[in-house]
Amino acid sequence: MATKGEPVSEPEKAAPPPEAPVLEPEKAVPPPETLAAEPEKEAPPPETKAAEHAPPPHDYLVVVDLVLRVVLFAAAVTSVVVMVTSKQTKMVTLPLPPFSKVPRPAKFTHSPAFIYFVVALSVAGLYSIITAAVSFLALLKPGRPAKLLAHFVIFDVLILGIVAAATGAAGGVAYIGLKGNSHVGWTKVCNVYDKFCRQVGASVAVSLVASIVLVLLVILSAYSLSKKIPQ
Amino acid sequence: MDTQKGNDHGEVKEVGNRKVSMSEVGLRFLAFSLTLVAAVLVGVDKQTKIVAIPVVSTLPPLNVPVTAKYHYFSAFVYFVVVNAVACAYALISLVLTLASKKGGSKGGLALMITTLDLVMLALLSSASGATGGVGLIGIRGNSHVQWKKVCNVFEKFCHQMLAGLILSVLGSAIFLLLLVISARKLQKKHY
Repeated sequence: MATKGEPVSEPEKAAPPPEAPVLEPEKAVPPPETLAAEPEKEAPPPETKAAEHAPPPHDYLVVVDLVLRVVLFAAAVTSVVVMVTSKQTKMVTLPLPPFSKVPRPAKFTHSPAFIYFVVALSVAGLYSIITAAVSFLALLKPGRPAKLLAHFVIFDVLILGIVAAATGAAGGVAYIGLKGNSHVGWTKVCNVYDKFCRQVGASVAVSLVASIVLVLLVILSAYSLSKKIPQ
Repeated sequence: MDTQKGNDHGEVKEVGNRKVSMSEVGLRFLAFSLTLVAAVLVGVDKQTKIVAIPVVSTLPPLNVPVTAKYHYFSAFVYFVVVNAVACAYALISLVLTLASKKGGSKGGLALMITTLDLVMLALLSSASGATGGVGLIGIRGNSHVQWKKVCNVFEKFCHQMLAGLILSVLGSAIFLLLLVISARKLQKKHY
């Protein structure tokens, strides 16, 4: 089951390289004498220059945007990992004559809603890495182009739809697992698989946080777009 | 801000803005009708069937009327509530859009409408997701936890539910389109 979580953590390690090559030309132009300096030390000068050129409010908006994207990544990865590792095996007595106890596992792959949840949150995690990198690059350059902000809004909204639908689907199915449905004879399963249900519930709660973060991101982008209009 | 520019340029921009506004009004009306029909379809969804239940294998089966209603499922109740809220909001925002066109556009109002569009999109998506997830169990059942499928018995109920779900997904797509349009409109103001 851990293999499902791998694609998410893999790009996490792969993500930093794109930042480094772009930093290279940035530091190569102003100070050619410091060749082996680490990128973190060289990053501040362009930022302070940006603060001089662009009005200051945008800079902290960019930082908030970046922080929210990192939070989104953390939330997406957390909920995927918690959901994937929620497997629980219990000894269940057979209802048929042998009445022997057999191990019965409960895992997320047993429900299509949970599979969709894992896929959707993985996509959101991947997306947050890419946009965090883009946002970080935008932080180094003076001012963010309006086109980038508008594209952020459009794609954030799309991902929000996907994540909200996944949260709803997993939450709806988990609620039936918790309460059961006497009208159609669906018995509750959470009294048997307690750990499984706890993990699924936690995962859905974290994905709810991810959708709230996405809403904040879109509002932030729309706000900074509408703030930039005058001049 | 157009007063500084050439007259003909301002005229062109005015026409472009009005076109966008009219398409926005049309889309809001579409969102209103889609969510209204979705809420009503699911809200009136009810089916009663006579089901033969075998009590003892030697005796003839017992005929029992069984009813399926939307409020037996919390996910469907959530669906109806969210669609009703989105429907009401679409109507209010339609009126606000029409009213603001006369009085000139305000940045604060536009931002508020964008934010609420976003919230409606999130709510509609989650309601569609919940209904889809529970409905899929109704169609296919879940053998791992012995949840039997019910759509082989309540066909009409399930079909009506599916129609409501599709309309609601289309409604959320309209809200997505509205957000894309407002993002493009904000972007255009920079050039």
